[in-house]
Amino acid sequence: MEQLPLPTSLDEVEQLIRALYQPNTPETISKIQEVLQRLQRSPEGWQLAQSLIAHREDNIRFYAALTLIVKLNRDSASLSEDDASGLLESIIGWTIQALVDGAGAFVVKKLCSALITYFVQFSHIWPNCLRHFIYCLDLGRGSRAEALDDALTSEILVQNLDSQKLKVAIWFTTSLVEEVGKTDMNSAKYIDVHTRLAKNGHDVACLLARGFAPASDNAGIQTQAETISCYQAWILYAQRATSNTDLLITPLRQLVDPAMQCFATAQLFQATAELFSDVLSNYSAFFTEAHYTALSALFDSPWAVEHYQRILHGNHQEDGISFGLLMLAYGDAKVQDLMEGTDDRSRRFMESLSGLLATDGYLVAEDSIFVPALEFWSTFIETMIDSAFSDEQQTQVWKPYAEQHLKAVVVNCWRKIQWPPADVFADWDSSERVAFSDARKDVADMLQSLFTLEGLDLISFFAGLFLQAMEAQTWAELEATAFCLGALSDCISEDERFDTELSKVFASPFFELLGRDPGAIPLRLRQTGLSLIERYCEYFERHAEYLPSALNLLFAAVGDSVLGGPSARSISTLCSSCRSILTGEAGAFIRHYQTIRSSQVLDSLAEERIVLAIAFTIQSIKDEDQRLQTFEELYNILKKDFQLAVELRVQPGLLNLSNPDHLRGLDPPSPQAVPPVDEISLHIALRSMRCLANVAKGMQDVQESIVDLDSAPKTRRASSKLANLQADIMNVLVEVQRAFSANGEIIEIICNIFRAGFSESEPGPFVFPAEVVTDYFVQQPFQTPRVGTLLSTACSYVGSLYRGPKVIVPAQLRRLLPWVIMLLQTLPEPGSDTEVAQNGICLIDKVMSKYPEVIFQIQPQQLLEFFFLFTLKVLNGKEPLPKIAAADFWSNFITLKPTDPTLATQISNAMSHLGPLVTQTLINNIGGNAARSELDRLSEPLKKLVTSQVQAQAWLERALMAESSINGEEEGFPAADRVTPQERYTFMKKILALRGARQTNVVVREFWLQCRGSSFAYVS
Amino acid sequence: MSLCQNRLQEERKQWRKDHPFGFYARPQKNPQGVLDLKIWECGIPGKEKTIWEGGLFKLVVTFPDEYPTKPPKCKFVPPLFHPNVYPSGTVCLSILNEEEAWKPAITVKQILLGVQDLLNDPNPDSPAQAEAYNMFKKDRTEYERRIKRVVRENAAP
Repeated sequence: MEQLPLPTSLDEVEQLIRALYQPNTPETISKIQEVLQRLQRSPEGWQLAQSLIAHREDNIRFYAALTLIVKLNRDSASLSEDDASGLLESIIGWTIQALVDGAGAFVVKKLCSALITYFVQFSHIWPNCLRHFIYCLDLGRGSRAEALDDALTSEILVQNLDSQKLKVAIWFTTSLVEEVGKTDMNSAKYIDVHTRLAKNGHDVACLLARGFAPASDNAGIQTQAETISCYQAWILYAQRATSNTDLLITPLRQLVDPAMQCFATAQLFQATAELFSDVLSNYSAFFTEAHYTALSALFDSPWAVEHYQRILHGNHQEDGISFGLLMLAYGDAKVQDLMEGTDDRSRRFMESLSGLLATDGYLVAEDSIFVPALEFWSTFIETMIDSAFSDEQQTQVWKPYAEQHLKAVVVNCWRKIQWPPADVFADWDSSERVAFSDARKDVADMLQSLFTLEGLDLISFFAGLFLQAMEAQTWAELEATAFCLGALSDCISEDERFDTELSKVFASPFFELLGRDPGAIPLRLRQTGLSLIERYCEYFERHAEYLPSALNLLFAAVGDSVLGGPSARSISTLCSSCRSILTGEAGAFIRHYQTIRSSQVLDSLAEERIVLAIAFTIQSIKDEDQRLQTFEELYNILKKDFQLAVELRVQPGLLNLSNPDHLRGLDPPSPQAVPPVDEISLHIALRSMRCLANVAKGMQDVQESIVDLDSAPKTRRASSKLANLQADIMNVLVEVQRAFSANGEIIEIICNIFRAGFSESEPGPFVFPAEVVTDYFVQQPFQTPRVGTLLSTACSYVGSLYRGPKVIVPAQLRRLLPWVIMLLQTLPEPGSDTEVAQNGICLIDKVMSKYPEVIFQIQPQQLLEFFFLFTLKVLNGKEPLPKIAAADFWSNFITLKPTDPTLATQISNAMSHLGPLVTQTLINNIGGNAARSELDRLSEPLKKLVTSQVQAQAWLERALMAESSINGEEEGFPAADRVTPQERYTFMKKILALRGARQTNVVVREFWLQCRGSSFAYVS
Repeated sequence: MSLCQNRLQEERKQWRKDHPFGFYARPQKNPQGVLDLKIWECGIPGKEKTIWEGGLFKLVVTFPDEYPTKPPKCKFVPPLFHPNVYPSGTVCLSILNEEEAWKPAITVKQILLGVQDLLNDPNPDSPAQAEAYNMFKKDRTEYERRIKRVVRENAAP
C-alpha cells in the first residue's frame, strides 16, 4: 500500500484527524491511521499532543490524549524525573481544562486514561494519585505531586468537589483500578505499582462514600450508578490483590451499608443487585457477619416480598431475574448456615428459594429463574450429602426442616418439567426446545443426588404420584412421573429392595395404556413409557411375569417412525439382560420379525437391533440342536435376502418394487427416483449383511470359559449340523463378496462377522475352523477393497489362534505370512497405504513374539529379506502409525532370546547384518527427522540395542559420526552442521551409560531438540 | 481441598451456568451416589451443517491428580471412527497434550468445543487410527458414508 507523506503543518495534521473520524473507505482510513501513527511515534509526538490538546474540537482533543498514551507507553524512559513531574502537572491541567471547556465525556475519560498510563509508568512520582488528583480538581488546575504536602484531608477535599468534578474523580478511580488490574501483579515490573495502588484505599473509600450519598436529581443518581460499578471493580481487585490487602479491604468494607441503601432507588436496583450477586458468588468472604445479617433482614422486608411476588408471577425481565439471582447468590454463599438454620427467618428464606422453582410460565421460554434455582438446590443437596457422610454422630435437629424444603423442591420440579401442550411447544424455537430438555436432564441429575439422602421414600413418592396420575388420566403428570422414575433407574434398578414399589408401577394398567391405539395418549408419554421399560430391564429379569407384555408392547411399536428406533433398542437391551428367561420366546420373536417384515420395510438400524435381540435369546438356548435349529430359522430369512441380491445382480429384470423384500434395497427408503437395479441389489445385500453381523455379535457367549491351550484341537471340532451351517455361511459370504466385489463395506462387514467368532472359545455358527479362515484370507489379492481392514482382521485372527490349542497354530501362520508380505510387496510405496503397512507389520510382529521360528522358515527366503528392509524404509518415512509399528517390531526383534540354537544363530546372523542399518535409521530419526511425538516409541528399540547387543556401541558410533559422503553411497548424520562430533559422542556415551533406563528418553529428546535447532518451538 | 478439586468445583459451577448448545458434562457418581469430580461423562454433539450433525457422542474425561498442571484425558466410549481417535477411544488433540498446546487456563468448555471442532476437521498430521485415517486420505466418499452411519448409530435423542 502506498504511504501518505508525513504532514508538514499542524493544520494538515488536524485535517487528517478530522478525515479519520469521517465516513471513508477502509483503505483510506488505514492509510490515515498509518501516517498518524508514524507521527505519534516520532520524537515530535510529545509536542504534537501538547499542541492539539487545547483544541476546541473534541475529536482532535481526543486524538491528542491518545497520542499522550502512546508516548507514555513507548517513550517514558526518555523523560527525566523533572520532565515527568512537569508532565503530570500538565496532563492534570489539561484534564481540568477539558472539563471546564465542556469537552465531551469521551475526551475527559481519555485524559483520565492518560493519567493512569502515567501512574503505571511513574507510580514512584505519584504514589497518592487519587488524593492528588482530587486536590487538583479542588484547586482547579494541575500541580506537582509534592504540592500535596500542604493539602487538607481527603475527607474535606472530597466534600468540596462539585457534582461535575465528583463524576470525573469517579471515572478516574474506576479506570485506575481496571487498568492497573490488567497488569501482572506478580511481575517485578509492576509489583510496586500494585503496592502503591493499594495505599490509595483510604482515599478511594472517601470518594465513594461521597458518591453513594443520596441524590436529589437524575444526574446524582447517574453518579451513584457509576459509584456502584467503581466499587464493584475495587472489590474484585481487592480479592486478587496479594499485598497490602488490609489497606484496601478495611476501607472498602465500610461502604457495604451505603451501597445497600441503593437497593431502594428503583433506577439503581439492578446495578446494586448485580454488585451484591457478583461479590456473593465470587468473594463471599468480603462480607462480615453483620453484613450478612443486614442482607438477611433485607430479604425479610416488605420491599423484598414485593420483588419476590413479582418474580413469582412471571416478571423474568432483567430486574426481576436480578432479584432472583441475588437471592440465589446469597443462598449459595450461606448454604451451610441456611441448611442448619432452624430460625423462622432462615426457614422463610429457604421456602422462598424453593418457590423460585415454581414461578409462573413454562421452563426456559418464559421462566429463566428455574435453571439457576435448580443449580442452587443441587448444591444444597450436595452439601447435605457431605454433612450426612461427615458428622454422623451429631444430632441434626435441622434435618427435618431441610427435608421439608426438599419435598417442596421435588414437587416443584416435577410440575415444571411437564411438557406443555403441543401448540405451545410448536411455538418455541429450537434453542428453547433443547434448553427445555436440558433442564429436564438437570432435574434427573438432582433426583439422583437426592436419592442418596431419601432412598426408598423418594421412590414411594413417585410410585404414588404415578398411580394417581394413571387414575386421573392426567397425561402430562404421568409422563413427568415416568420420567422421574426413569431417572432413578440407575440408582435402584439392580436393587431388589425397591421392587415392591416398582411393582406397583408395572402391575398397574400402564402397559395396557401404552398399547392403546396411537392417538389415545400423547406420543411423548408413549416414548417415555417405553424408555422406562428399557431402563428397568434388571427389574424385569427378576420379575419375568411382566416381561412378555413389555416386549409385546415394544414389538408393536417397532414399525412406528418415531418410536421404532428406541423400541428396537429397548428390545435389544431387554433381550440381552433377560436372555436366559426369554430362551423359550426365540421362536415367537422370529415369527414376530417375519410378520413385521412381510408387511413393511423397517428402519434398517431398528431391524439390526431386533435381529441382535433375537440372537441374544437364541444364544442362551442350552440344548445345542435346538439352538442351532432356531438359529437356522433366523439365518434362512437373511439368506433369502442374499440370494435375492445376487439374483437381481445377474438378472435385473426380476426387480419388483411391490415386493417388500425388494423394497429393502431402497436407501433412502423413499427416494425421489428409482435408483438403478445394481444399487438396489447392493443395498439389499448390505442391509442383510449388517443384520448377519449383528446376529454374529448376538451369538457371542456371555460367559467366559476356560480353554486348555495344550489340548488336542478336537474340543473345537463342530457337530456335523454346525459344520454344515458354518460351511453354508462361509459360502454365502464368499458369494456375496464375489457378486459385489467392488464394494468395501461388504468386506468390512465380513471382517466384523469373523471378529465376532474370534473372541469365542466355544463352537458356534460363526466360530469357523481355522483352515477355513486362513483359506479365506490367503485368497484375497491386494486389489480387494479395504485390504487394510482385512489385514487388521487377520491380526485379530492371529490373536485368537493364540487363545486356542497350540498344535494348529504354526500351520496357519506358515500360510498367512507369505500372503501378508506379498501384500506389502505390492504396495507402490511403504507410505502409500498406512493401514496395510501398519497392520502388516503388526501381524508379523505378533507372529515373531511367539513363533519366531516360523518367520525364519518363510519360503522363499527373499520374502523375509524384503520385510526387514521394508520396516527400515517405513522407519525412515513420514507416516507415524506404520513407523511406530516398525519401531515396536524392532524393539521385540532385538530382544529375541530363543532357546533353539539354530534359530539363535539365524537371529544373530540377521542382526549382524541388520544391526548397523537399524541403528542408522534410528539415529536419523533422533537426529531430527522424527516428529516429537514419535520420540518415546523410537527410544524403545534404541534402549533394547544398548542392553542386548554387544556391538551397539560400534553401530551407534558409525551412525552418529557418518558424514555426508560426496558420492552419496552412505547417508550422513542429518544434523551434522548443527551438532559437533564431540556432542554426538557425548550423546552416545550418555545413552550407553544409561543402559536402557527410562532417563534415555529424556536424553534422546534433548539431543533431538539440539539437532532440530533452537528455532524449533511448538506453536500453541 | 486440593488445587485439582477446587478447580473442578469451579469448572462444574461455570459449566452449569453456561454451556454450549446440545452438550452435556457431569461428574460421575460412585455407587453411594457421591460425585467423583475427577471423572466426567460428557456428550459432544456433531456440529450443525456438517456430516456429523445429529450425532451425540459420549466422551469420558478423566482428570489426573496434577490437573490443571496436566491435561485431562478424553476418551470416546465406545471408541469412535475418526482419524485422530486411537483404537482405544482416546482423543489425540494438541490442546490435550502436555507437551504441546495444553495450558492450565483451558476450561472444560473449551476442551469439549475443541473436540467438537476436531470431529469435522481432522488433523491428518497426527493420525491415531489407521482405518479412519486411511479412508479419510484415500476415499473421501466412502469416509463420509461411514461417518453418516456412525452418526445414525449415535443419534442425539
